[in-house]
Amino acid sequence: MARVELKNLRKEWGGATAVAGLDLAIEDGAFVAVLGPSGCGKSTTLMMLAGIYQPTSGDITFDGARVNDVEARGRNVGIVFQSYALYPNMSVLENITFPLRFKTVDSAEAERRAREIAALVRVDGLLDRRPSQLSGGQQQRVALARALVKRPHLLLLDEPLSNLDAGLRLTMRTEIRRIQRELGVTTILVTHDQIEATTMADRVVVMNGGRVEQEGVAEDLYERPSTVFVAGFIGSPPINFFDGEADGSAIKVHEASIPLADSLRGPVVLGIRPESLRVAAGGTPARITAAEPMGREVLYTAESAFGVIRFLEAGAEPRHREGDNVLLGFAPASALLFDKTSGRRIDARIVA
Amino acid sequence: MVSGDAIAGRAVAARTDWQALARRGWRTKFTAQSALLAFLILISVPILLPYFWMVVIAFTARTGGVASDVLWTACAVILPGVLVYSIVHMSVASPRLRTVAGLVLLVIVGALLVALVGSKLHLDNFRFLTRANFVEELRSKATSGAQFPSVWTAFFNSLALALSQTVIILTVSSLAGYYISRFAFRGRNGFLQGLLVLHAFPAMTLIIPIFLMLHWIGLLDTIVGVMLVLAAIELPFYVFVMKGFFDGVPWDIEMSAMTDGATRRQAFRLVVLPQVRVGLIAVAVFAFIRAWEEYIFVRTFLIENKNWVMSLYLFWVSDDVMGVDYGIVAAVAVFYVLPSLLLYVFCQKYLTQMTIGGIKG
Repeated sequence: MARVELKNLRKEWGGATAVAGLDLAIEDGAFVAVLGPSGCGKSTTLMMLAGIYQPTSGDITFDGARVNDVEARGRNVGIVFQSYALYPNMSVLENITFPLRFKTVDSAEAERRAREIAALVRVDGLLDRRPSQLSGGQQQRVALARALVKRPHLLLLDEPLSNLDAGLRLTMRTEIRRIQRELGVTTILVTHDQIEATTMADRVVVMNGGRVEQEGVAEDLYERPSTVFVAGFIGSPPINFFDGEADGSAIKVHEASIPLADSLRGPVVLGIRPESLRVAAGGTPARITAAEPMGREVLYTAESAFGVIRFLEAGAEPRHREGDNVLLGFAPASALLFDKTSGRRIDARIVA
Repeated sequence: MVSGDAIAGRAVAARTDWQALARRGWRTKFTAQSALLAFLILISVPILLPYFWMVVIAFTARTGGVASDVLWTACAVILPGVLVYSIVHMSVASPRLRTVAGLVLLVIVGALLVALVGSKLHLDNFRFLTRANFVEELRSKATSGAQFPSVWTAFFNSLALALSQTVIILTVSSLAGYYISRFAFRGRNGFLQGLLVLHAFPAMTLIIPIFLMLHWIGLLDTIVGVMLVLAAIELPFYVFVMKGFFDGVPWDIEMSAMTDGATRRQAFRLVVLPQVRVGLIAVAVFAFIRAWEEYIFVRTFLIENKNWVMSLYLFWVSDDVMGVDYGIVAAVAVFYVLPSLLLYVFCQKYLTQMTIGGIKG
């Protein structure tokens, strides 16, 4: 278990920058999720933490000690890959004891520890099987046991749930969380799934283009996204964005105009989440173009003075049909404003 | 009413149609299957007959000539047996009944063979296995003692050549294949293309330069010399095949082993190698058999009789000014072909997978 710090970490692949100056501090025993679209450098960061890739510049420290030059096998890091990467030529027990072969642990002790960890991840009945005889969820648990058996300083999870079906994913989410709490191991989860990130981790780091966009707890990312990217990435169905122009007292969006409480000038982006829009008297007129029932709620697409807008309404039955005209309103506090050039959020208030 | 009748009539017609169609489908399947079986039997006859003939000659021929009556008698018994079994196989659905019928046929054919040709079988032609100076006895007029080696000298020379060939090719092709598969280096593509070109190049054209080189190095007329030449000529292909197998092993597994505390070498040995086991077996078998059957290079580079291998022994046995004793040639041939035949039989399932690994590359 260790406190892990990344200082101005960079990784370039012959000209292409995968990670562009990453600063991150992870407390001992914390569970942090690194969330981002594919190609944002999150997996590269993980590989640098594991010691498989060498950073181009910057430092990685475990408990304050620089580990850049420590080889993968010396770092005592456990890693679970998306493909599980179990050794097909070995039984489950051999897989789990494999990391202990390279430590000064005698075989009886190794087997005892393997059985203990197998019980923790609930694969103790499968120890004699081959990986090919296991289901996806069981393979996942074995991979987790193998990563944990050496009591790692750091546990790395690289999209561990992507290959599981929906039901199993839900179970494994809680399971991994339980095991992490029980062992108190510092854990970094890399994922592109926001639900996975926010439900499992204490803290979420959103990455884009090799940089950290924002880090914080789930509510922060959802309610106070610091950039347009975070606002667009977090939340499902995605937020509505409208390009506008602030002229001091109001924002002009398409054909609509929204009065401002604070003085603001220049190009802006207005973000309104589908769930903050309501059909209400006195709102903007809109014509429904599509209604998609999603179970507990219905997602509507509509044309309005703002442009195309999507909004959610509770209830299983669609209450509006295609071609219906409705009035759409939103609470001013729920709207988000971003500077169009920098992409950063602006703390300016809307009147209504 | 009228329309109702018409609909019912059409329905009845449809039902009878189905049965006719089913019968036709069954007939088509039966014809296609019998045609296929007949075709397979027909084309396997010219392939299998020479081998069968060789075995028959080895166990029946007496000095002086080859009588083919045993061969024809045996064929006259075995071919109808095969035909009857194919008919049984096609017309009986139950696998158990098929097995029973097959066993019954086997017993009948075996009994018929023993009754008809059993008395003509003998092991006389295999006497070369126990007599050290057999070749001299055979061609007594033209030779003096110890001019020819015993069959066992040739056998163990062949074995040494084939085994060392296997070891060299396994070691080099697995290491080189791994390196080419995993490491990016300048000129890798050119190197890979070079490997293929080398494989396509007829090595026979190099025989004179190689002869001279071996002479200058001092390896002419040694097993080691042939071993090195064969390995050098065969390696490019096997390196390519092994590269294909290593390409099929996911990166994740290696990275996982290294974070688990293994060195790169340990990861290779403990995790990667076991996954290309099929490739290693296939390469080993092919390398072994290729060296075992080698004739041109050994004929050119091995001069002293103490260095003879099986193919040379077979050549000298058949090369007789007094006329060839076919029984003995066939017996030596049976003895010669046995090891590679056994290897093929036991490793068949790995060999068929070699092409799969190769295609991946």
